[in-house]
Order: sequence, then C-alpha cells, then structure tokens
Amino acid sequence: MFHNSSQRKYWIFKSEDEVAHMRRKANQKFRNKIQESGKSAVSDSMFLERHEEDVLFRHYERRLLDFCNAFKPAMPKSVVGTALMYFRRFYLNNSVMEHHPRTIMLTCAYLSCKVDEFNVSSTQFGGNLLHETPAGQERVLEQILEYELLLIQQLNFHLVVHNPYRPMEGLLIDLKTRYPTLENPESLRKSADDFLTQAAMTDAGLLFPPSQIALAAILNSALRASLSMESYLTECLGLKEDKDSISKMYDSMRRMKTLLKKYELPKADEVNIYKPRLERIHAQFASSSNKRKRGYEDDSHVAKEPRLVEEEWTDEDLM
Amino acid sequence: MDDQGCPRCKTTKYRNPSLKLMVNVCGHTLCENCVEMLFVRGSGNCVQCDTPLRKSNFRVQLFEDPTVDKEVEIRKKVLKIYNKRDFDFSSLREYNDYLEQVEDIVYNLTNNLDVENTKLKMEQYQREHRDLIQKNKATLTREQEELEELLLLEQQGNEQRRLDVLQDEQRQLQAKRKNKQALLDELEQSQLPATILLAQHKVRAAQLETQIEQQKQTVKPTNLFSTGIHMRQTVSLVAVPKVEDVLFHYKPLHVETYGPPVPELEQLSRVGYLNHVRAAMPQDTAGGYTSALACHRAIQDAFSGLFPLKG
Repeated sequence: MFHNSSQRKYWIFKSEDEVAHMRRKANQKFRNKIQESGKSAVSDSMFLERHEEDVLFRHYERRLLDFCNAFKPAMPKSVVGTALMYFRRFYLNNSVMEHHPRTIMLTCAYLSCKVDEFNVSSTQFGGNLLHETPAGQERVLEQILEYELLLIQQLNFHLVVHNPYRPMEGLLIDLKTRYPTLENPESLRKSADDFLTQAAMTDAGLLFPPSQIALAAILNSALRASLSMESYLTECLGLKEDKDSISKMYDSMRRMKTLLKKYELPKADEVNIYKPRLERIHAQFASSSNKRKRGYEDDSHVAKEPRLVEEEWTDEDLM
Repeated sequence: MDDQGCPRCKTTKYRNPSLKLMVNVCGHTLCENCVEMLFVRGSGNCVQCDTPLRKSNFRVQLFEDPTVDKEVEIRKKVLKIYNKRDFDFSSLREYNDYLEQVEDIVYNLTNNLDVENTKLKMEQYQREHRDLIQKNKATLTREQEELEELLLLEQQGNEQRRLDVLQDEQRQLQAKRKNKQALLDELEQSQLPATILLAQHKVRAAQLETQIEQQKQTVKPTNLFSTGIHMRQTVSLVAVPKVEDVLFHYKPLHVETYGPPVPELEQLSRVGYLNHVRAAMPQDTAGGYTSALACHRAIQDAFSGLFPLKG
C-alpha cells in the first residue's frame, strides 16, 4: 500500500523548489563530467540550459504519452502512469544531455509493461514502432534492452509506482456509499479523469500522495459542476475537529491546480531549435559509452566485440 | 559425475562410468588411461597449462571440481608445517589470527598468487618453529593411534557378533537335520505305527522351534547405556538458572496509514459499499474472488496517505 511504499519514503518531495534543485544538480553534474574529461572544443554555450532541457523533456513526455495511447493491445491507464513516472524520476537525477530521451522513453514503457504485469513480448513491443522496418525494430529493441538496467539503477530499484487511478475509483465508491448529498458522482468521473491525465504530465506525482491527487481531481470537477463537497471532508473523512489538516489539504489542492495551470505544451519552434543541439551534444559526448553495455559499468568480464557504429535512428522512426 | 569428461579423450568418460579421473598439483584432471599414455616415461607436461608434472603426483579425484582437490592437497602439505593447536595460544584472538594466516597461505598457493613469497614465508616459519612442529607431530600421531585402536576394537566387536550369529544359525540347522534323521531312523526300526511316530516328530519339531525363538529373544544383560553412561549411575544435572524477565504483553500491530480508517472487509457489504461495485461473475467466484476484495482494495488505496503530515 502507499503508506509503507518506497514511493512515499523516497520519491515524494516537499516542494517544487526541491525538485527543481535536483534537476539543476543533474544538469551541473553532466557539465562537470564533460569538462573534467577534458574533451576538446567544449564551450559553455554548447550545453543546454535548464529551461531548454525542460522543453525537450516535456516534448518527449508527450511523445511517450502518444506512444502509449497508440499501443496495441490497449495499455491500461496504470501502465501509462507508471511509464510516465519512471520517465520523470529518471530525469530527476540525470540530465537530458547524458542519456537521450527517445531511448529512455521506450525503455520506460517497456519496463512499465513488465512491472505492471501487462504482458507484452518484446517482439510485440517492437511491432508497435510503426515506422521501422523489422530490422530497425530489432535494433531499437536491442538498445532498449541495453538501457533497461541503467533505468532500473537510476530508479534506485524502486519499481512499484502507485498511480491515482485506483484511489479515484475508491473515492467514487465511497461517495456513492456514504455521501448521499451528492446525487450523481458518476458525472464527476469524466472531468476527474482528465484532471488526472493532466496531472500525470506535471510534477504532482513527485510532490503529493496519489490519494490526495485523486481527491483534488474529484473536488475540482465538483467545483466545475458547481456542486459543493465541503461536508464530505468534514463528515465522512472525520476531519470535523481537525481544522489544521483541512486547511493543509486545501492548500495542497491549490498547489496542484497551480501546477496544472502552469503546464504548457512544448512549442514546436522551440523544440526545433533545441533538438539539433541535443543531437550534437550526444553525437560528441556519448561516443565513449558506446562500447560497453549501459549500466554494466563495474563489470569485470571481458567485453563483447565492441559495437562498431551505433546505428543512429531518428525520432521520426518512432511514430 | 557424468558431466565431467577427460579433457583429452573426452568421450571415454561417458562410455566407461567406472573410469576414474586423476588430479595433479596444477589442478587439471586426466582420466586414468590418458595418464598412462602421456606419462609413460614418468614425467611430462600438463595438457592444459603446460607445467612439468610427475606421474606419481596424480591422485584419484574425490571431488567434482578439480580445484577443490588441488586445494585439499595443498592444505594437507601446509598443515603438516603449520600444525599448532588451539591450546598452544594464549588468547582466542591469537588463534584466529594464526588460522587466518594459514588460510591466506592456502588461498595464495591454490590460486597461484604470489607463490614465491608464500613459499618463503612457509620456509621461514618452518625454520623458526622446528621444535614445536616436531612436538605437535608427535602428539598428533599419538592421538591418531588412540583413535585407530578404538576403531579396531569396534571392528573386532562387530566381527565377533557376526560370527556368533552365524554359529547359532549353524547349530539350529544341525538340530533340525538331526531331528529329521531321527524320524527316519525310528520309522525304520521302531515297532510303533507310523502315525504315532509322525505325531511324536511333530511335537519334537515344535519344541525345537520354541527353543530357537526363546534364544533369539534373550537379551544379553549389559550394564552400559549406548552413550557410555553406566546404568544406575546418578548423573548430576546442573540446575537451570531461573531467569526473571518482564512478562510479555501482546500488543496488536498498528500500521500508520496517514488517512481515514478503512472499514473491515467483512463490513463492506453491510455498510452498502458492494452495491456500487461490479458484482463478481460466476467464473470469478470459482477462484475465490469476491467483489468485496476489489472494493476493499480500492477503498484502502483511496484512503492511504490522504491526510497531510502533521507539523
């Protein structure tokens, strides 16, 4: 359950500032690493700034969402939610410049299918990469398998992700059973669902427990439909005397709504400027890690025959 | 053992399960036949590592992994030199340090690390503790002799018992044969009618049988339990010290869920939750599923972590 999960212990942070700080640290770490390795022709302007990284991150996050939605057979919502959460957590501690988002994104989807017990064989998964030839799909799969261990490591092996979808169902059931004041809770479902999908594209999952996100979704849609649900909190959840908790909960919900409002779709022209820079960075700095399997850094085995040129596949190959 | 083959002739091991593998000081194995063939002149080089070897150094392999055998040999040799016992040391720490030293030496020699230095160390130790080594060797041989005497005694006891049993059987067989012979003789010579003779014979045979049974059942009186304690000897048991401790009080497990209390699984239908959950199909109930399970899980998830942290 969520209350004794690794998500609550290690992946819920206190404020948006803390999250932003971690991302800045990851960016800085990459810059230091490159500068220490002393590669020639390194200028500070080559690196991506934080806001530029953010734009790219959101762009690839969108593509991950579209990929999951277009997946055949249909991916359950929790799998999509888990994949998005993995993507977000990975780029909390790593920079976009270090590991290219397009492979990480597919690896997140692949891992999430496994963890959430949505059984898809790797060939079936590869079959969903529609614009590739079968040989290209093989290559992509190989890359996914290489990155898988790295992804798991960077998630600190905390693979279970609690999504807000089931809490939302639970709250709706509870409303129907104990809160007859609200006549038709089902009417709230659609807009609460949209709220949750939007929330998955923000940092809400890293800041609030999933049950609070679900409650915010329901209260928000009730507000939209001009239905009052004040008494639910005080009566049913037993918070009549606990004014402090109630105010804190409203506060969290306001923060969540702000997060959702702040989210903006990545603009195409910005993306088109930053992407080639990202490609250039990868082409220049990522070649050193091509030879070994990602994630097997401490392996003392004899390396397999060094991969020659890593076949570069572009973004268009994905969708 | 079948999965291991002789590295040289490979197939022969599978075809001939009785064939033995021999290990040498370098840790590589060879089957008996190959040893004969390669070392016909008494010395040669190992097939896999090319170290010069002698035929006499080959020993029958006792373990599946030849490196284990190699280590066992090395250990025997090392322990011949490093033969101190636990009462030779004044503290446990010293004894453990000594043992660690020995293990390091065995490890180095087995994995061919730093062989030169290790051998020098061994020689130095040997020179320094020559007398102690001799003395310990003497005590060791004495102990071994005592053990061997005990073993011999036991074996003799077993033999004796076996012979006794055999003799008993022989006697019984002879008694039966004599009985039969007596019957035939009587049938020949005596005047009594055959039926009476047969009846008499039967009685005698029955008596013999009961005698044999009784003999088997007589237990030889001993005065020793199998653990060696004399019977009727009072063994003093040390009084178990009474431990006074705080009495244990059971406290039920309390898990903090950071949210409102969740109704129990059994209460769900009474309160009315189950009306709002999809009912279980007959196929589902076969596996033990009830709609209350799904409902309970959804409610638990909804309430877990709902309240903000205090402070």
